[in-house]
Amino acid sequence: MELDLFVRYGPALLHGFGITILCWIAGSLGGMALGFLIACIYQWSGRWIRGLLQAYIEIVRGTPFMIQLFILYYGGPHFGLLLSPVEAGIAGFVVYGSPYFAEIFRAGFASTPKGQFEAARCMGFSEWTIVRRIVLPQMLVSITAPLTNFVIILTKETAILSVVTVPELLYETQTMAAETFTYVEPFLVLSLFYWAMVEFTSWLGRRVELRVTRHLRRA
Amino acid sequence: MPDTATSAESIITVRGLGKRYGDFQALTGVDLDVRKSEVTCLIGPSGSGKSTLLRCMNFLEAYEEGEVRLDGELIGWQEGSSGPRRPLPGRRLREQRRHIGMVFQQFNLWPHMSALENVAEALVQVQGMTKAEANGRAMAALEKVNLKDKAGNYPSALSGGQQQRVAIARAIAMEPRVILFDEPTSALDPELVGEVLNVMKAMATEGMTMVVVTHEMGFAAHVASRVAFLDHGRLVACVPPPEIFGADPADPRIRSFLQTYRERNVV
Ligand SMILES: Nc1ncnc2c1ncn2[C@@H]1O[C@H](COP(=O)(O)OP(=O)(O)OP(=O)(O)O)[C@@H](O)[C@H]1O
Ligand SMILES: [Mg+2]
Repeated sequence: MELDLFVRYGPALLHGFGITILCWIAGSLGGMALGFLIACIYQWSGRWIRGLLQAYIEIVRGTPFMIQLFILYYGGPHFGLLLSPVEAGIAGFVVYGSPYFAEIFRAGFASTPKGQFEAARCMGFSEWTIVRRIVLPQMLVSITAPLTNFVIILTKETAILSVVTVPELLYETQTMAAETFTYVEPFLVLSLFYWAMVEFTSWLGRRVELRVTRHLRRA
Repeated sequence: MPDTATSAESIITVRGLGKRYGDFQALTGVDLDVRKSEVTCLIGPSGSGKSTLLRCMNFLEAYEEGEVRLDGELIGWQEGSSGPRRPLPGRRLREQRRHIGMVFQQFNLWPHMSALENVAEALVQVQGMTKAEANGRAMAALEKVNLKDKAGNYPSALSGGQQQRVAIARAIAMEPRVILFDEPTSALDPELVGEVLNVMKAMATEGMTMVVVTHEMGFAAHVASRVAFLDHGRLVACVPPPEIFGADPADPRIRSFLQTYRERNVV
């Protein structure tokens, strides 16, 4: 009976899981990229632009993810922004995550001693080379843990995507539960999927951490 | 003007240099010639503007008044045009900085790179060498500072004196026309000062042009060709060492500086 159920709904669940993973990975990477960009601009600009970025960070952090999704998906068309549910989901993730990622990167920049920038500058390094070769490798040591942490939080935020009808994991599970009147099994499977994502993320985080702290251990 | 050098033989010429931080005038009307293959030491009381002067020479600090020239080329600002000066585009400034090395009080090595990688990094990233070429040149530079056997060490596994010597190797490897030192031994334990000064003496003997901010009066007296004395942002004198460290220096400010200095060292 139960097995039967999963034979019938298995494909839909797997498809939902795929969509969840797509939104989660694309959203995390996009959010990280946008956050990094914000932190870089913040690092190299004057008070005015910093103020604007700070305002963006406060506003996005101050609104619930669900509201942001509603605005993007239902409000978007008013501004000529027509997004499919999955597109809206990914865009939502990018926006929602960006201020948190930006703050993590900003702290990373601030933790690099000024003298290391100067040593590179006075040898003729470009600012981008300084970021790539000197700042990033060092700040990864201190920011890998908070980055991993936030990506793990995002795994669970994917559940909210169902409110804009993204056919993700929770959406499919709810469909299955509603149609079959079974609740325990579907949600048990759901937890397993989330658990797998979380485990994978922390495993990846540890790998990255091992790699970026090589110089500390060899010393 | 205290300096009688003709600018033909000088690598860096500083003229009428002025620098302010907000309302505070850190440098006023500084004229200085740094001559080729000579060691020029900058001495003076704390806060007199020694670091500021040094950092204007490679535009780590943007000076507002006067000029700094390297082999005749204006550093940091666009040449010529009337009206307010415009800063050089980043690419031009970086090109200028490649020829001016700098060694800091706090070493400023990059902790995630080994000694060899610290020295080779700019050769690859700035000079565009292949990794093999860069490593060869970096190794030669490390050999000059007697650290060939520590090439694989990370900075955290080096003593202060060794770290500073790596920093010197990092500057040498770029083959700059001049190297600026800002109190290179001030952060070191006393027993490590000598190894760094010895390396610098050897460089001087080989004809490297150096500008050295220092509190090591012995080094200034014995290695420098000229000693510049700064006080309250003004260059009081730039003369051969005997005129400063001799029996009776001309300027009362120099006398009182050296007096407090001797008292401090006696204790
Ligand atoms: N970024 C800054 N903002 C404001 N004032 C500054 C700044 N940097 C230096 N100053 C001031 O300029 C003056 C000269 O500073 P500088 O660091 O050049 O002195 P110094 O001769 O190198 O002193 P020390 O021997 O202590 O290193 C000091 O009074 C200092 O307080
Ligand atoms: Mg100083």
